[in-house]
Amino acid sequence: MKRIVGIILAVLLIGGVITAVVAGRESQVSDTATKTVRGVIGSEKAEFFADPDVIKALDEHGFTVKTETSGSWAMEEQLTLEETDFAFPSSTAPADELAKKFKVPGTPLRPFYSPLVVVAHRAAAQVLADNGLATLDGKSRGTLRMGPYLDAAAEQRTWQQLKGTAGHAELTGTVFITSTDPMTSNSGALYLAAASFVANGGKVVGDKKAVDQTAPLLKQLTVVQGSQQPSSDAPFRDFISGVGNPLVLVYESQVASVLLQKQEVGDLVVLYPDTTVNSDHTLVPFNENGRALGDLLTTDKRLRELAVRHGFRPQGAAAEFTAATAPYQDFLNQTLTGVRQAPVPTTEWLHAMAQRARS
Amino acid sequence: MRRKLTGTAMAVALLAVAACTGGSGGDDAAKDPGPGADTSYHKGTLRVLASSELSDMQGVLDQAEQKTGVKVRPTWTGTLDAAELIASGKADGKYDAVWLSSNDYLRLDPGAGERITNETPIMSSPVALGVKAATVQRLGWQPDQVTWSQVHQAVVAGKLTYGMTDPVRSNSGFSALISVASGLSGAQSALTDADVNRAKGKLKEFFTGQKLTSGSSGWLATAYTRRGSVDALVNYESVLLSMNRDSNTGLTVIRPKDGVVTADYPFTLLTSAPQDARESGQALTSYLRSPEAQQALTEQTFRRPVVPSVRPAAGLATDKRRELPFPGSRSVADGLLNSYENQLRRPSRTVYVLDTSGSMKGERLARLKDALAGLTGTDESATGERFRDREEVTLMPFGSDVKQVRTHTVDPGNRAAALDGIRADAKGLSASGNTAIYSSLREAYSHLGGGGSDAFTSIVLMTDGENTAGSKAVEFDSFYAGLPEDGRATPVFPILFGDSDRAELEHIAQITGGRLFDATGGPESLDGAFEEIRGYQ
Repeated sequence: MKRIVGIILAVLLIGGVITAVVAGRESQVSDTATKTVRGVIGSEKAEFFADPDVIKALDEHGFTVKTETSGSWAMEEQLTLEETDFAFPSSTAPADELAKKFKVPGTPLRPFYSPLVVVAHRAAAQVLADNGLATLDGKSRGTLRMGPYLDAAAEQRTWQQLKGTAGHAELTGTVFITSTDPMTSNSGALYLAAASFVANGGKVVGDKKAVDQTAPLLKQLTVVQGSQQPSSDAPFRDFISGVGNPLVLVYESQVASVLLQKQEVGDLVVLYPDTTVNSDHTLVPFNENGRALGDLLTTDKRLRELAVRHGFRPQGAAAEFTAATAPYQDFLNQTLTGVRQAPVPTTEWLHAMAQRARS
Repeated sequence: MRRKLTGTAMAVALLAVAACTGGSGGDDAAKDPGPGADTSYHKGTLRVLASSELSDMQGVLDQAEQKTGVKVRPTWTGTLDAAELIASGKADGKYDAVWLSSNDYLRLDPGAGERITNETPIMSSPVALGVKAATVQRLGWQPDQVTWSQVHQAVVAGKLTYGMTDPVRSNSGFSALISVASGLSGAQSALTDADVNRAKGKLKEFFTGQKLTSGSSGWLATAYTRRGSVDALVNYESVLLSMNRDSNTGLTVIRPKDGVVTADYPFTLLTSAPQDARESGQALTSYLRSPEAQQALTEQTFRRPVVPSVRPAAGLATDKRRELPFPGSRSVADGLLNSYENQLRRPSRTVYVLDTSGSMKGERLARLKDALAGLTGTDESATGERFRDREEVTLMPFGSDVKQVRTHTVDPGNRAAALDGIRADAKGLSASGNTAIYSSLREAYSHLGGGGSDAFTSIVLMTDGENTAGSKAVEFDSFYAGLPEDGRATPVFPILFGDSDRAELEHIAQITGGRLFDATGGPESLDGAFEEIRGYQ
């Protein structure tokens, strides 16, 4: 089964875009010859590695980093050890698989992470709150109550059946969260991980029985969406554009990045699911150079600051994130108070769930 | 599913058509040398398969070229044709990127999904209904309150007619079909086969109001303006608002309250593109996402920006609409298209006026026969790859005059009878005589005029030379002018082939409200032209 999924994923995702990030050589601060390090990364980190300041900071430490993007679940098929120094998927499960498969010694590095959140316009968030599906902390931030939300999804409840939707043409049809395709995209798969954890009575899905038990709900969450996008950028852009579904699953980093660029976000409300999954961006080093880069991203003050600029939360005491996002506490739950982290099922079970949901 | 693309020939034909009609083609297409053009990659120039309505982005793309050094060389295409070209692998090595109104259909095709990457939405525009102000008033509509059910009721009451592109060829038509099917079935989430079946009766009624069809949204707008008697137009909000600005069409833009399908124009790289082209693509999309470009595109084209710091241009309504999900499976999407094609839409009555004069002898006649056989298809052919159920097809070969008139109607209960008959008639064509273009066209009009049935009527004219016998051009002009309004509604779609006279054929297309198609390219260009015309029938 897993093999088949693997093949499908490989076919779907073969040949992610090669982004050659060439260090700006005009900055001759470093005399040491730069090392070119090549990696396969999740697409949501492409902007980070393409940021001229990131390129400069890496160059100052003697690194030129060339990246190629790939879905987190397709990296195994895409990389070759001869040419790749590191892989940088968006969560631990695919990273652990890669580490196991390529017998990587030591622990993988997790320089930064970002929780999954749901964005809504204020009217929709208010309706959810008025009907017990969410609680709001102020006008731009709140908590999505996963239990009541999943109950509503299982019953195929419509917006019209909720009170307070009159006068909002966009709030009609089945209540659902738009996510990405769980077969190919990390955030879509993590959504199923969080939902299955709740549906499985607060236990991580780890056997066939639990897959069978949660399958009808996960399928329900998926089929109502129709065609799903391959990355969370597209539904987020639709949302920003004022079109698309009222509720969209994105990474907190996507919202934070927009806020930190001082862009006006209007009546956007960030809902933190009370049970969510962190996207732990995990670097798997295949050699010394890869590990050195991972260490640098984890420990270098400047690079941690730059990760924050792109909305990521650096691991450990994240003073940088707290300081930088202080003006945006109306939107961001800096301390993730009231948010429970669901563990992610192993790749095997996650793939099984995704396949059942899409079938 | 639909008609098999003929690869390069098709692309070349499309390019040439855009170049010669100027209808939907932009400057770049017009400057393109056409058939035999250099399709190899040149550093800094992206070869992009693009939806034809994006020709209005030229100003923004010129600016992008100045800022990034990346030039876009577009080849205009229909969304669904592009999906097939990519899925077949024939786009590999010829194009670097694809920029369509939506990738939803593309993604349903596993063969296409594996060949695309880095989908970056640039802007959005919902498919909407543009209605004449007088009609809105007559119907007593509150524009922001109208639902698809109300539109359906107005059609049933005989109070509303509209134009819409062919969903089998064009994304705006397909989006409209999904919207209407959702609205009339009461579906609360992504459409299922059961929803479609439940709504079939109402959908058939809804499509009795469709008086104009087209293979592209650009030509639809032209045909609408020309016809004058149609009340409304289904098209992108951006196209409707641009028409109002550029042609004072005075259309009230209605986004039905029960939901819309929105195009989000993802700029998408092909995995086969050279690395250098991919980097150019990323530089281009970074620029197009910049506030400067977003501001320009919303102001110039009435599309909605996708960055939060840029506000939509004045004229774009800000009240939100439910987004109707695109079907999640190929079977639902194709089932809907198949129903539209063979059951829901008004049938077609099509006359093929075919030059079989002496000059067609040999290879030209062989190509014509092959093209007709391919066009006809068989009972086994997928949606769009054969003549439609209920379609009346007439072959009218001519030389010094019309040689014979053979009509077949495709009976859903026995398709093979008509399809085999058409193929046999095509096979039996023989070349002789002079070229009586205008007299033959007059006969085609007379043939259609007698029917009086409720159908999309059209005439396809294929000729390889100039008019040498029968009526003169001026005689045809006055004949056409003297037709009753119903008769004048039938367009002629001439195909440029062999030694035919472009000016002569352009004139025929222009006065009858048709469009010229070019088949002077490679060996498969005649098939390509016949196939593309299907979207207009």
